[in-house]
Amino acid sequence: MNRLQDYPVEVDAGDLFRHAAGDVAAKWIAVSNALCDLSEEGSASIQDQVARQIQDLGMSFRITGDADERSWPLSPMPLIVGAEEWRGIERGLVQRANLLEQVVADIYGSQRLVEEGALPAAVVTGSRFFARNMIGLQPRGNHYLHVYAVDLARGPLGQWRVLADRLRLANGIGYALENRLAFSRSTGTLLSDINARRLAGFFGELRGGITRDCQRENPRIALLTPGRFNQSYPEQAHLARYLGFPLVEGRDLTVSDDRLYVRTIAGPKRIDAVWRWIDTNALDPLTFDSRSAIGVPDLFDAWARGGLEMANWPGAEVLESPAFSAFLPRLCRRLLDEEPLLPNVATWWCGQRKEAEIVSERMDELVIAAAFGQQVEALKGVSPVPAASLGAKDKAALIEAMQRRPMDYCGQEIVHLSTTPALIGDDFVPRAFTLRAFVARGSDGEWTVMPGGFARLSSSGEMLTTLMGEGDLSADVCVVDDAPAAYQAATALGGVPAIRRGGGILASQAADNLYWFGRYCERVEMTARIVRSILGGSIDVDGSGGRDPEVRRLLVNILYLWGAISARTAKLPPQQVCRTVLAEAELAGGVSKLLENIRSVGLSLRDRFAPDFWRLSSRRLPPLEAYRPDAVLRQVHELIERFSAMSGLIAEDMVRSPALRFLDMGRRIERAFSVCRVSRQLCRSEAQSDALSVLLDLCDSQITYRSRYLAGALRDPVLDLVLLDPDNPRSLVFQLETLDRHVAALPTLSEDQLPEQPLREVRAVLAPFLSLTIDAVDDALLQDTEARLLSLSEAISARYFLQYEKSESPERDNLLA
Amino acid sequence: MIYDVRHLTTVQYAGLVRLARFNLRLKPAPWPSQTLQTYSLTVDPLPWTVQEDSGPYLVNRSRLTLRDPISRLSIESRFRVEVLPPALMIEPDVGPSVEDVRVKALERRDLSPACPASYLYASPLADSEPEIAQWSRGFFESGRPVVAAGQALMSAIHSEFSYDSKATATHTPPVEAFRKRRGVCQDFAHIMIVAARAHAMPAAYVSGYLRTMPPPGKPRLVGADATHAWVNLWCGEELGWIGFDPTNNLIVGSDHIFTAMGRDYGDVAPVDGVFHGGAGQTMKVSVDVAPVG
Repeated sequence: MNRLQDYPVEVDAGDLFRHAAGDVAAKWIAVSNALCDLSEEGSASIQDQVARQIQDLGMSFRITGDADERSWPLSPMPLIVGAEEWRGIERGLVQRANLLEQVVADIYGSQRLVEEGALPAAVVTGSRFFARNMIGLQPRGNHYLHVYAVDLARGPLGQWRVLADRLRLANGIGYALENRLAFSRSTGTLLSDINARRLAGFFGELRGGITRDCQRENPRIALLTPGRFNQSYPEQAHLARYLGFPLVEGRDLTVSDDRLYVRTIAGPKRIDAVWRWIDTNALDPLTFDSRSAIGVPDLFDAWARGGLEMANWPGAEVLESPAFSAFLPRLCRRLLDEEPLLPNVATWWCGQRKEAEIVSERMDELVIAAAFGQQVEALKGVSPVPAASLGAKDKAALIEAMQRRPMDYCGQEIVHLSTTPALIGDDFVPRAFTLRAFVARGSDGEWTVMPGGFARLSSSGEMLTTLMGEGDLSADVCVVDDAPAAYQAATALGGVPAIRRGGGILASQAADNLYWFGRYCERVEMTARIVRSILGGSIDVDGSGGRDPEVRRLLVNILYLWGAISARTAKLPPQQVCRTVLAEAELAGGVSKLLENIRSVGLSLRDRFAPDFWRLSSRRLPPLEAYRPDAVLRQVHELIERFSAMSGLIAEDMVRSPALRFLDMGRRIERAFSVCRVSRQLCRSEAQSDALSVLLDLCDSQITYRSRYLAGALRDPVLDLVLLDPDNPRSLVFQLETLDRHVAALPTLSEDQLPEQPLREVRAVLAPFLSLTIDAVDDALLQDTEARLLSLSEAISARYFLQYEKSESPERDNLLA
Repeated sequence: MIYDVRHLTTVQYAGLVRLARFNLRLKPAPWPSQTLQTYSLTVDPLPWTVQEDSGPYLVNRSRLTLRDPISRLSIESRFRVEVLPPALMIEPDVGPSVEDVRVKALERRDLSPACPASYLYASPLADSEPEIAQWSRGFFESGRPVVAAGQALMSAIHSEFSYDSKATATHTPPVEAFRKRRGVCQDFAHIMIVAARAHAMPAAYVSGYLRTMPPPGKPRLVGADATHAWVNLWCGEELGWIGFDPTNNLIVGSDHIFTAMGRDYGDVAPVDGVFHGGAGQTMKVSVDVAPVG
């Protein structure tokens, strides 16, 4: 059987499959058959099976301008490239990487290429990434480049060409990894059946390559991200987790004595190398753009004086300009004394008089591109424009602009893309594609090419300039051998790592986020419980009995006191209040607002959370269709169940690390606070029995109470259970003892063994409750406890979190006030 | 001319500021027609560290770190400088044409801090602006002598725009000042730079000072009580960089004291920096430029 038999492309059309040699073509057929079989055997189509894997991996992306992430579009059918064809690509890429390395070294070193006229100065200065500050500086290992991504196009005759060099961001490298994971998980042994090369070794080499250039033997390498609002943040978080690099933002870092440190809960920890996902211009506000808020002041000093390895070296991205393609073939002959193995797209830079004339004569056969990849006056957007496609007026404007500022433009030959089979529905359909390949320096300092990559299948057949556009698909790229590789590393990243335990370092910022994540979750849960209690009466089985109106008022008052509803809402009838509570997005304590905070803080913790957990925490509340008490109750139940499920995942799945401690401390302190607050309010009620019963509900202690006491709800037994009983996981003392254990287990800064401020504070809150019986617990003590909890929270924040962040998020302080 | 210059900056912070780090770009960088005879920088409170280097463009940079919390800061820069009149008499109608300069700027094999290629392209605070390009179309005909073209552009800015220190702030984009037809020396310099670069002329931002009191019988120049800014246009190999002051409609001579040259204000800003805490600050600047002979 051959599922590709009816694939509608002629043999001579340059299609990747039609063009494949016999043994490789057989693998195409094997894979296509296997995919169709999986569709038919399984309960879902192969597309759905892959989509499920993608969801499990938590893969998503954003198109520029999108507020929300989209799920990742992966075509199940990979590109299959035979070993021989790949060898040609590999050799070409290594040659090009070596060439780029030498050109960067010249630009920031001797500048002989400019001096001797081999490279115009204006091609260098035209790039906004040319960093004059970097001239004369040299990286420790003499490697300016560590990671290099390159876009390749395959022409109709099967010839591969370089479309673009990427030295700033290796976007797609994480997606290549995830595509492979999703594909291999959906297809069982298929990959090894066709002898596809594995990717893991490449990532091990990448890590080894950065490691070898570091000062210390066991360096700490961090991935520097612009933050969770960056388009490729999910990819960065995934890579960091996969490689075991701490994921850090500028504000986590500090430079001291020309060394870089990450602020952690255990004090500053040195960072030896940074894989940066930030533009050079934004790296250090004191050296480059002073407006940058994502960089690290004085970071420049750290790398300039040898205290820090950077991948890639700042300023290296100057070579990304399309204009460089006009010079690289000549530079290849000059610097390497070799012919380029992989041609790049033929390019003429108009900053030279002769070239400008060629472009103007042959204009209609060419595309006109912005020479430095930035928008220029006469071209809309940054994509190259075929001159022939322009109307008379636009063309005249372009010609005028090109005469005025010729150096902003280059002409390029039009590249035609060959196609590859994509599985759309049940059919294989030809789709034009480009391939992004990745090259990294390995542990021996030499270049190694990822055996595979990231393919984009265009929906339109147009040239692809961004990572993913509307309607595009991505696909895995499999490089296949004739025979299985003699040895394939068993561990994920190659080599046997040293055994270690614990959760790695915990940055102060991450600790802060975990703590508040815990607090927000607990607050939402308690709010949901209160709403349930308010509504509880109205759908009681016996209908008429219901909740005491005064107790309801007290409950509404609690919501008002912690900022879940406005004063105006608090005056509405209780049932209407409940509806408003869930939708409240304006107040800091409103449920919608809190859920939004949970999502947003959760995003930045993505590298620490399992996908299940992350998905659960970031789910939005469905809109309330109509106001009916049962609809509100359904939502409330959904929320309570969600947080129970999350508690379960935390208890069962999270390693007992400081990270977990901060998450749990947040929950415990918030819960301790709520218990005090609701106890105090409800104890004021005239309708004692109903109020105490509600208190048992809110503290989820109704069943324990009933099994312990035959009597109805009475003050002392109820309060003992919800405040003092150390075995009740909802009681105040239980929260305080747990907090005590957590704080005591956190690292200390000095070696004098004295308890630090947070530990002293937590013990001060706990102490009275350990020595009192319930009859001695009064409103004054609970009020005092609330104040002490507030001061404990401040002590925790002062000791473990970044201080200057506080003024930026004043709404947080409201939660405890 | 020899001048004594005193430039005093005082900053008052609303709250305590920790770990403040500043870049000062106050000491004049080497410039052909100038000789710096003495220089002193006084900072109070005393910084923890001071690092001196020459910046990426024609600029001297001092990096200060203040480790202890501060609530105010004063920076005093004093120097004596000798300024020579231009060696060549600048005759607007001789010298290379606009087209000659355009070609020469692209051909020159030079990546040094003052190389014309570094001042050809849009920069962070002087982005290209179609509106300004359109407006300046008439000034740079290919055959026109470049100095005459620069002078015409400078005069146009001077006559069409009003000096108004209330109309703009430090970070107002040039195009906004352009639309208002108002601004201060910084805005005029940026507009002139954007206009010149739109026609592939290398144009640089210069920060410096003007003599405070005019010579007898001459009017007091605008911008003399603060730091001043003007534009350098590259006018070919022989003439090199020539200063045009659109605020005063003057080709720069010995009344202007050069401090630094960069692509735009950001490269030569007298003071910038970062610190933790204490939102809100008020900065006062006073400048005194006295001729000593």
